[in-house]
Amino acid sequence: MKRSRRMSTALRITFLGLLSAAMLVPMYILVINAFKPQQDILLSPLTINPETATTEFLAAAWNSTQFPVVEGYIFTIFLVIACNLVSIGVSIPAAYVIARTPGFVFAAMLMFFVAGMFIPSQIILVPTIFVLKALGLMGTVPGLVLFMSATMIPFTLFIFSGYIRMLPRSLDEAAAIDGAGRLRIIWTIVFPLMKPIVATAFILNALSAWNDFVSPQLILGPGSTAKTITTGVYAAVSSYSTNYEIVFPTLLLAVAPILVIFIAMQRFIMGGLASGAVKG
Amino acid sequence: MTNDTVTGIARTAGRRGFSPARGRVPARRRPISARLLDGALTLPALAIYIVLMVVPVGYAVYYSFTTYNGIPSQSPTWVGLDNYRRIFEDPANEMHSSVMVTATIAIVGSLLVNAIALGLALLLQRKSRFNSFGRAVMFYPHVLSALIVGFLWQALLGPQGAINALMETMMGSRLPFLSDPTWALWTLIGVIVWAQFGVQLVLYIAGLQAVSVDLLEAARIDGASRFQVFRHVTWPALASTVTVTIITSVLSLLKAYDVVLGLTNGGPGGATQTWAYEILAVSFPNNKVGLASAQAVLLIIAAGILSFSIIAMRRKAESGSEAVG
Repeated sequence: MKRSRRMSTALRITFLGLLSAAMLVPMYILVINAFKPQQDILLSPLTINPETATTEFLAAAWNSTQFPVVEGYIFTIFLVIACNLVSIGVSIPAAYVIARTPGFVFAAMLMFFVAGMFIPSQIILVPTIFVLKALGLMGTVPGLVLFMSATMIPFTLFIFSGYIRMLPRSLDEAAAIDGAGRLRIIWTIVFPLMKPIVATAFILNALSAWNDFVSPQLILGPGSTAKTITTGVYAAVSSYSTNYEIVFPTLLLAVAPILVIFIAMQRFIMGGLASGAVKG
Repeated sequence: MTNDTVTGIARTAGRRGFSPARGRVPARRRPISARLLDGALTLPALAIYIVLMVVPVGYAVYYSFTTYNGIPSQSPTWVGLDNYRRIFEDPANEMHSSVMVTATIAIVGSLLVNAIALGLALLLQRKSRFNSFGRAVMFYPHVLSALIVGFLWQALLGPQGAINALMETMMGSRLPFLSDPTWALWTLIGVIVWAQFGVQLVLYIAGLQAVSVDLLEAARIDGASRFQVFRHVTWPALASTVTVTIITSVLSLLKAYDVVLGLTNGGPGGATQTWAYEILAVSFPNNKVGLASAQAVLLIIAAGILSFSIIAMRRKAESGSEAVG
């Protein structure tokens, strides 16, 4: 009995260890080949010779005109923060009213928002372009931020209203008796209690904003000078896909920051996903 | 009773019912100014959502009945169901194949993703250092953008790619991962599964944590085998998690576009052309806004029908889970 359990543990660890290694192989190949010339990449993709390794190609990718890396990071971080400010900022008061007011109107409103979760946002982009044109926001950063926020609102609002329902009503009632108005209750009583769910929404929205390719590509236009990490990589890599001296260093520069953030925050990122999707 | 006090507080707090049981009892209406404020608080969210999500859907429906080409000087001409007829009859046989590609990806992909995720979740559910390392490693592809995942695997599996170069030196032959139509489709599915199962894995682990420990123990004491415990305790208790994981995986597979663009660009010969690719990379750039809109409308309808039928089908399993949990 005991031996068979030890056997099965050993089997489990071996299997998972091998699978983890397999999952990491693409990343390993990406990292080592970013330091090698084309000839070496084609001849020996899995090994690296420390003596011939060079940062020359990384430097070239860093200085690429098609993908201005530093501006790409900054612009993408700006998008992440702006979209989160807009989508979380407007979702909190709306979710509060929906969660705390009984009656058909607000229940229907929740359903109306939730329906948005089933709309594939990248597909709706084609008609959105015409709406943005009519508003004069096509090709502008505010237009992009507003559209990306709009796609985040359904899920954000859904998990927020579910969370507010679990908060005790007696808290906002006490505040109301003390003479606090609705806005004040929302921002000084309810919002501080929502920290965990706001963090969840922030993480999930940040990941989707960071990785979005279609929205910036179509709304800002392929020729736009403002490039996100994904549109920049597309501009730099799509026409040179067999020139691995360009491909590997560019991809490495694109994935490095998000991987570092992931390694540092993995517990919160995965925990946020679990609590957002299952318990919300 | 204290009901009066309660209603009093509720009224001061500006609300009608108090306990769920009393929710339906018509209490005095809140003053109109308070109700206006409620409306105003939902307004920003409603405005952004309606203008940029709901109105575009409306536009898509409208354009789908026209031959609009997207050029500002031209106005849409109403053609009724022509675009839809064209999609269903499909004389050039390019759209049906992308429907088949998308359906294959959605069905095979979500089955694989969920099977792998559930299996690994069972292996990784206990808390330990090794397991949290394993979870992070399985999850990391999800933080990479789908476009970059596509480019990365293209560099690995392309004819000149690292894996083919390796096979050449070791076995003296190459595999047409991306150059043969059938191979390319299965490679695409494999890459999508690689990138996605980590998300579902995390959801399954969260679901497994909610399975009642007492029940598991009771079943074991009663002499149930590992498989029996899984079949009769764990699986029913996971019912609502399974619904969430199936819906989220199907919805994200239905709109596969970025990864296709990076990995195969729809090729070879349209073998990996998904429905979303057809809309964004074929119809729309060719100024067929009417057709692209009809395709988008069909995709939204398909996503809606699929989600609701999954929810309906899972209802029985979920009500069973309440009996167990």
